[in-house]
Amino acid sequence: MIKFTLNGKTVETSEDPNTPLLWVVRETFNLTGSKFGCGAGLCGACTMHIDGMASRTCIMPVAAVAGKNITTIEGLGTPDEPHPLQAAWVEHSVPQCGYCQSGQIMSAAALLEQNPNPTEAEVESAMAGNLCRCGCYPRIKSAILATAGPALAYNAAKRTGSEAEA
Amino acid sequence: MNPLNLSRRQFLKNTGIVGGGLVIGFSLSGCSTPPWPIAEVEGGYSPNAFLQFTPDNAIRFFCPRDEMGQGVMTGLLTLIAEELDVDPQRFTLDFGSVHPDYNNPGMGVQATGGSNAMRAHYHQLRQVGADTRSLIVAAAAHDLGINKDQITTENGEILVDDERYPYSDFIATAAGMELPENSPLKAHSTFKYIGKDAPRVDALAKATGTAPFGIDARVDGMHHAVVRRSPVAGAMLVSVDKQTVLSMPGVTDVLEISSGVAVVAEKYWQAKTAAAALDPTWSEVALSEVSTETVKADYNAAMLKDEGISATSEGDAASAFTAASQVLEADYWTPFLAHAPLEPMNAVIRLGDNEAEIWTGNQSPVGVQGLVARFSGIEQDKIRVHNMYLGGGFGRRGTLTHIIEVTEIAKASGKPIKLTWSREDDIRHGLYRPASLIRMKAGLDEQGNIHAWQAKRAGGNISPDTLKNVFPALFPGLGDGTLNFLADLAEDVFASYLADPSSIEGLAEGYDLPNHDVQHFTVDHGLPLTFWRSVGHSNNAFPKEVMMDELAAAAGMDPVEFRLQNTKNNPRLHNVIRVAGERMQAMNPPEGHYLGFAAHGSFATDVAEIAEVSVENGKIRVHRVTCVVDCGLAVTPDVVRAQMEGGVMFALTAALSGRIDLRHGEVVQSNFHDYQILRMDEAPDIDVVIIRSEDDPTGVGEPSVPPLAPAVANAVFAATGQRLRSLPLELSYGRLMPNSASTSSVCSPCLGGRW
Repeated sequence: MIKFTLNGKTVETSEDPNTPLLWVVRETFNLTGSKFGCGAGLCGACTMHIDGMASRTCIMPVAAVAGKNITTIEGLGTPDEPHPLQAAWVEHSVPQCGYCQSGQIMSAAALLEQNPNPTEAEVESAMAGNLCRCGCYPRIKSAILATAGPALAYNAAKRTGSEAEA
Repeated sequence: MNPLNLSRRQFLKNTGIVGGGLVIGFSLSGCSTPPWPIAEVEGGYSPNAFLQFTPDNAIRFFCPRDEMGQGVMTGLLTLIAEELDVDPQRFTLDFGSVHPDYNNPGMGVQATGGSNAMRAHYHQLRQVGADTRSLIVAAAAHDLGINKDQITTENGEILVDDERYPYSDFIATAAGMELPENSPLKAHSTFKYIGKDAPRVDALAKATGTAPFGIDARVDGMHHAVVRRSPVAGAMLVSVDKQTVLSMPGVTDVLEISSGVAVVAEKYWQAKTAAAALDPTWSEVALSEVSTETVKADYNAAMLKDEGISATSEGDAASAFTAASQVLEADYWTPFLAHAPLEPMNAVIRLGDNEAEIWTGNQSPVGVQGLVARFSGIEQDKIRVHNMYLGGGFGRRGTLTHIIEVTEIAKASGKPIKLTWSREDDIRHGLYRPASLIRMKAGLDEQGNIHAWQAKRAGGNISPDTLKNVFPALFPGLGDGTLNFLADLAEDVFASYLADPSSIEGLAEGYDLPNHDVQHFTVDHGLPLTFWRSVGHSNNAFPKEVMMDELAAAAGMDPVEFRLQNTKNNPRLHNVIRVAGERMQAMNPPEGHYLGFAAHGSFATDVAEIAEVSVENGKIRVHRVTCVVDCGLAVTPDVVRAQMEGGVMFALTAALSGRIDLRHGEVVQSNFHDYQILRMDEAPDIDVVIIRSEDDPTGVGEPSVPPLAPAVANAVFAATGQRLRSLPLELSYGRLMPNSASTSSVCSPCLGGRW
């Protein structure tokens, strides 16, 4: 049994330990917001946070995340309570086909956690691992830069909230 | 509930050429009435196949076209919403299943492509909205005992004096009334939603990971399938040892199917691991001998040997060349390309005894239904197609061979199946944008007019493969023998008698070419071919627009002035060139940055683009692209902007790195490390200028693709003096030079392998 925390809940799985985390999350835990794009860590569609770091989970064996804290797009925000980045994605009409956007947003959220006020070049560099075949890059960049402040405040509030609950 | 079909005449017609591809129109008369596509809801009412009102005052929109990112859900909903007088943001969203009312009015079949959704549905869906609103107003007048002219509407509510009633209050009465026809449409000046900026209606679902894609579907008892296919297209399975793989964890079935060997397992990873352990052997086919260099040489040989099919001509090009004051000639090469939508091909299917369901994002739900019927033996009307969001299409999801695979696997295994292609499957076993060798010859008169124009194109054709794939899907009742006969016939016709429009479109249109001649040379090595965003224009705008710059240089004219002078008979393209030219004139690029221009019309839309480019250490970098578009009335302007941006990025990927190569018939590239997609740190800023227009809308999904590569190539010439005539654009390192006043000269066809 491999145990880890998924969007705040402790879960365990008896999957083959070599199975990439992406497939365990999608098939066993039925969270399908994280996508399969390349299976080689090249496109970023599968990006989740592992202990706060944006990580490519299509090449991450589930055994490697034992005891770790995993956040998926479903854990970041919901249609009723979107994360500020998700709200900005709507405001800027970022998505086209939308398939890569979960991964884009997870990379962006990790960036803003670590660097609340990134420059344009820092955004480009942090987001270079996430492919968008529809070419939404200018809007992704605008949405991230427009969100930097509010996202920070939101995350701080959320952390305080979860501490209060604990 | 009795469906009241609106203007059925509009839904069932049209045979023709749409978006460069051959589209088959057919009448459904004679077919049995298909089941009503909308599931009934207690107290709900559907006046037509596009709308469902429910007592909670929700309105559900059933989108007749497939949403692959092009914004069609937002665009088409805006048409209905405008006339129905309800904010588009208030609707709940769904996809139409299979029904003739969802046919594409421009194609006569339920399919999405050719950038035609907005032009095909513009009047139809407004009329649907207007008639539905008239009906609800009539029902309200009846229930409230007042005259219709005492009623106004606002955002889904009936207004009478100071009272407001939601539309849903009157749906029970409306359900018993005759649906009006030909209700008056709004004047453009009174539009509330059309022409205005608003967020895409699918943005929140796509930003929260809740938008359902085909790959996200699941069904009880579902098993996962992975297929091993021949590395050379068309080769057949000779032998495979199934036993060793059958004992691997989770594996339940190893099946021979028409495209190869399928492994079925409880989990995807188990199926993938087991499929990788198979060691099948495959037959040799003619394609096994082919490499990229063979392809190029064969195209060239065909042009030298044969006369070619005369595709289009006007005036007398041959005489005009002798009268020309200058003649330029050059060869251009464009490679095979894969679509690489980020969501790989997939489908989930459940076959019952006499009914079935399938979940998949696709460009033709009726085609999906037809293939499932054909390969399962279940009656077509008993197959429910759940269309999903498409994680990118670009033409790829119009061909449905994966639907054949999943149906065969489900039938043979007796299990509900999810089939998932890997990225390697996608790059290596897909269908491709044809490669082209294009030989351009152009003659100028003393005044800088294009007096003579000849374009020869050698390569494979899309339409025979399209017919091969479409016939079995649309006519599931036809036997294999008949289908093979028709497919062979199509191939012969396009090889010998009739130029495939998809092969030659864009080579001689748009400009004033009083004496022109387009010839086609079919050389098909057997690699499967299909539509790729902007289809033939994606190949053909490149040689045409680079040649325009070469001609301008030869005439000693500014490239914009030259284009303006030679587009006087095409006011819309001329105007787009003029507006873009003025923008270019006002630009002041930083030192080391150079501008390039190109313009092209496709899908009834005209686009001009200016690329700002630098060349640093031999690497081409595009900093900014300005895109001027005339697409008629921009129904959802921000979607138009997004499509221009996306098309530019898609085309830039192709211009800078896109190539699918063959070695011994196998596709060399396999994943995003060697089939690279533009990344954010390489992406240019993009300015989009939409020409204000009251004309009916035209296409936007594809037309920003064709001008990009030539605009970049023309900027590279400005930067380096190198005239790049081969895609992807690669500088010749030995010849790097600073910008010089070098002018174009007569170029003989270059046969040395570098075009």
